[in-house]
Amino acid sequence: MQNSFLYSLLFVTLFLFACQENSTSHDDEKENAIASILTPDSTAASFPLILERIKKIDETLVQQIPILALIPLDEEQQQAFQLAKQSKDFIENLYHEQSKVAYRNELFNVYKARPQEIPANFSKGKVYKLELYNYALNLTTTAMVDIVSNTIIQVQTLKGTQPDIPTYLKDLAIQIAIQSPEVINALGYKPGEQDALMANTKTALNETRCERSQHLCVAPTFTIKDKALWAIVDLTDHRLVGIRWTHTGPEQTAKRISEKRLKFDKIMECYCQKMTHLNKDNWDFDYVITTSDGLRISSVKYQEQLVITSAKIVDWHVSYSNTDGFGYSDAVGCPEFSQAAVVAISEPRVSDIMDGNQKIGFALEQNFSSEQWPQPCNYNYLQRFEFYADGRFRSACASLGRGCGNNGTYRPVMRFSFPDNDNTFSEWLSNSWKVWTTEQWKLQNENTTATPEGYRYKIENKRGQGFAIEPNHGQFNDGGRGDFPYLYVTKLHADKDEGENDLVTIGPCCNTDYQQGPEKFIEQEPIENSNIVLWYVCQMKNDDRKGNEYCWSESYLEHGVYKTKVYPCLGGPMFVPLKKQNLP
Amino acid sequence: MKKLVASLSFFLFIFSLIACEEKIDEDELAQIGSNNCRQIAPFVSHTPINPIRAAFSSDAQGIKGIELIQLPLHEHDSIIRYHHPSWVKYGYMGSVVTDDKGNAYTFPIPFVNTLNQTFEEINSIYKIDANTAEMSRYLKLPKQDSTQGIVPYGLLGIYFDCHGKILYAASVSGSTRDKENGTIYAIDYNTKEIVDTYHGIDAFGLCVGGVTGQKRLFFGSGRNASIYSLELSKKGKFKGKHQLELNLDNLGPRGDDKARKIRFDKSNNMIIHGIEFNYSLAAPSIKPETVYKFGYNFEKKQWVLMELH
Repeated sequence: MQNSFLYSLLFVTLFLFACQENSTSHDDEKENAIASILTPDSTAASFPLILERIKKIDETLVQQIPILALIPLDEEQQQAFQLAKQSKDFIENLYHEQSKVAYRNELFNVYKARPQEIPANFSKGKVYKLELYNYALNLTTTAMVDIVSNTIIQVQTLKGTQPDIPTYLKDLAIQIAIQSPEVINALGYKPGEQDALMANTKTALNETRCERSQHLCVAPTFTIKDKALWAIVDLTDHRLVGIRWTHTGPEQTAKRISEKRLKFDKIMECYCQKMTHLNKDNWDFDYVITTSDGLRISSVKYQEQLVITSAKIVDWHVSYSNTDGFGYSDAVGCPEFSQAAVVAISEPRVSDIMDGNQKIGFALEQNFSSEQWPQPCNYNYLQRFEFYADGRFRSACASLGRGCGNNGTYRPVMRFSFPDNDNTFSEWLSNSWKVWTTEQWKLQNENTTATPEGYRYKIENKRGQGFAIEPNHGQFNDGGRGDFPYLYVTKLHADKDEGENDLVTIGPCCNTDYQQGPEKFIEQEPIENSNIVLWYVCQMKNDDRKGNEYCWSESYLEHGVYKTKVYPCLGGPMFVPLKKQNLP
Repeated sequence: MKKLVASLSFFLFIFSLIACEEKIDEDELAQIGSNNCRQIAPFVSHTPINPIRAAFSSDAQGIKGIELIQLPLHEHDSIIRYHHPSWVKYGYMGSVVTDDKGNAYTFPIPFVNTLNQTFEEINSIYKIDANTAEMSRYLKLPKQDSTQGIVPYGLLGIYFDCHGKILYAASVSGSTRDKENGTIYAIDYNTKEIVDTYHGIDAFGLCVGGVTGQKRLFFGSGRNASIYSLELSKKGKFKGKHQLELNLDNLGPRGDDKARKIRFDKSNNMIIHGIEFNYSLAAPSIKPETVYKFGYNFEKKQWVLMELH
């Protein structure tokens, strides 16, 4: 189930919303950021050159000394390489220490050491320097050897550094760039084929960084008149990360484009600074990534009728049971100039929801991730809104781990604001609907009763419109094991802001009772026939036991580099339109 | 004739102003920044910490406030820690500087969230009294008119200048993504009087130095990888506009570090502690920091990267 869900997460993505509105700003950088394109992490180039390289990598990984050596070596260089391999320090980082699975290590350079690098007592020898790059750990090991005296002079390991890449990798990076549809579309022609015809076009390979992924990246850059197209290529995963134009005129400061700049600027300009409108399959709404309340949808209409004013996740609380008071209260949101502790690093995605071969709705999703996820004490949260063709709506969320331990409980605080000032909130009790007359909260558990359809609450206006609410108890076939939610109903005030705008963190990490934040807005005010706000706090316990993983993630090695397997714990209620149901 | 007299008077007035400004001689300049006047607080001798190896810390993961730690002599020695009850009352704190009497100054920073501080409180300096060890609010800096869209930070840097006996504090309170609205304050540490302000820049990590031939306040930008400086008078007031000194762009593992801390070593090399900073509350479990060492080339009037680790 989890795998199929993941599959749908990764591959059923139908389209990405490009922020294609023409900017009214004359700021070139803003316009370039808006026009930039990010490619999904799951896309990798697969033309023959790449497949051939992956084959060579896999063949190398099973060798006794798994070092990919593709640069042409003359006799002396070969001698230097053989000598370096005898050094314990030089081959120290070839395998994962515990599992003994090989990392991808590649010999980038073997060259005669520069005179100033050679120690005095080796001045009469032939000293070579070797540079070995470990893709999985993003570290460089250098060795200096003297092939006359057969001496290993020095070995150094530098974390977080990357040597100059060899020519064949430069060529590969350019191939990845020029074969990608994004580059071809941006340039208006396929570079390489028509370069000869374009006298004013130059191609250069610029340095860049993939700061977040810590991968080896370079940027083939195509210059046309006073503009340059940066194509950031990830040589660890053999993929295009994205593209962005910059201006190169004499008045312009040369701006280096990196993975972080590409992603952050795009997300900030397109999804944090402005609302995006979506009209699809009878649903119509706006969405925006907030500074601290995750992805917020607003003015949600179904068949042209306003049904939800806004929905969002205010906080993520995570507490660990073995240490009293230990945990975090995370706001999620925009990557910069925000109060978010866990930030958006990808664009919102829209994908179809299928029931077999039949499309029954669509989902809008957004991930928020710590920079070092999935390392311990780093987090990745998924927010997912589901819109069904029959008018049902679900707000779901998941933790993708990994957190600080295997005894954590995640408590996301969802907030829903409804239209109409004549709403009434009811609970199914003793086979009938009981109206809540004042603001209050309730804990759901296994003993809470529900209608035969599984509805436990409903919100309804005087015209009988509204939603029945079906909390998740594992019935949605997404791997979710139940929400056990705290549910709060408060009155929406026109004269004071209790969350219509962005809320700062409203509750501490580690309360295990109803005190998750929304209770601050409960003042026993009457709520019958009024504007109502619903707060819904799921409780998901993580699990790292083999075969039972939940709210968890694991790193594993594939082709010698780290990949991540996730075990999401999806929670969140389904809202079922009342008019479609024959409720008791 | 009247016009001539008026003009002469005006020039005489300007000349007298210039002539009155105290000069800083070369030896004095060379000492600025590298000469440490800071004193160990008398209260330390009443704690379990050895005063000779004592240092303030606000870096410990998950620890609110300030700690006094005893630096270990050997690699495997454990660190001895002490905190006065008042040091944990005001939430998470940023860097700590001490003055020539042993008083320490620090400022609140949000960590992961803003539960511990309000916008009202965050733009403040706190002081640890050298004699009593009591920490209390020392100075509340001016608050902003609006909280709409502003960054969740107050101060980002603090520095005590031994030469001018001035406490410098850099605040980004009131800055937004679209408007760089930070202020550098020069504060008389005895009277708490704000003697000068420099407005319109988000500064991060402050240090006063004289290595370039002028007394200057060096600081990193919160917005990019640049290091700027601003000329100071002998008494520590701001003169003129800030200028670019160097850039950390494309250096180090991240390539766009912001200068969390700047100091000068005994040889007047500039030591910069660079971290990632994006005006969010993202707090990675391992906060990578790179230390950059720059030397000053007097002939070319340029900073030269000597090493980074």
